[in-house]
Amino acid sequence: MPAGDAFTPDQLYDIERAVRYAEETSGLHFSVYVGGADSETRPFAIELLNELDDPDRTVLVYVDPAGRRLEIVIGELAKRQLSDSSAGLAALTMQTSFATGDLTGGLVTGVQQLGTHAHQPPMLHANDEAHKL
Amino acid sequence: MIVELSGHSLLVFVGIPVLVIAVLTLLVFASSIANGPRYRPGLSWWAPPVWINGPTATKPDPANLPELPELTASTQAPGATATATGVARTLGGASASW
Repeated sequence: MPAGDAFTPDQLYDIERAVRYAEETSGLHFSVYVGGADSETRPFAIELLNELDDPDRTVLVYVDPAGRRLEIVIGELAKRQLSDSSAGLAALTMQTSFATGDLTGGLVTGVQQLGTHAHQPPMLHANDEAHKL
Repeated sequence: MIVELSGHSLLVFVGIPVLVIAVLTLLVFASSIANGPRYRPGLSWWAPPVWINGPTATKPDPANLPELPELTASTQAPGATATATGVARTLGGASASW
C-alpha cells in the first residue's frame, strides 16, 4: 500500500453508511478503527474502546492491516444484545474479505452483520397494564 | 539500402501503434487509478490510522477523577478488564487473523 489515505472518500462513505445502519438497527454505538497497534492488538483495541464516549454500549471493530489482525470488542451492556458467537461469525466474514485485499467490503459487510445480529425486535404491548404481571 | 520514411508513413507505422498502446495501458490501469491504492495482504501498510465514529468530546483526565478502591483477584470476574478508572468491565468480542 503506497503512502496516502487508507480509504478513498467513496470507501469512507460506504463504511460510515454501514456504521449508521448498524447503529440504527441495533441502538448500539459502533466504531471502526483501521491502523497499527502500539502493543498487542486486543489490549490496544480495549484501550480504544475506553476512549469512546459510551464504551459500555459500543461495539469497536479494530483492524490492523499490517499485522493482519482483527479484533471486535463489545462493551459490557452491548454484550447483552450481541453475543460472542455472533461477533465470531462477523469476524469470519471480515476475515475472508480482508484475505483477498478487500478492506472496505469486509468492513461494510461485517459491520452490517454485527448490527443485524444485535437487532432486538421491539416488545409489543410491553407497557400495557393488561399485560403486566 | 536506406529507406526514407515520409511523414505519412511515420504516422501510420509509429503514431498509430503508440496510440493503441497508450489507450490499452490507460484501460488496464483505469480501474486502479479510479479506486485508489489497494490493500495487499502481506505488504506493508503506511497509511495513517483511520477512526470512523471515534470519540467526539474530550474525556475527563483520569488523574483528576476521585480514587477508587483497587481491584483484587477475588473481586475481578473472569475475563474482566481493568479500565483506566479502576472499574472492572466484562467485555465480549472476537478475534481473527488472515
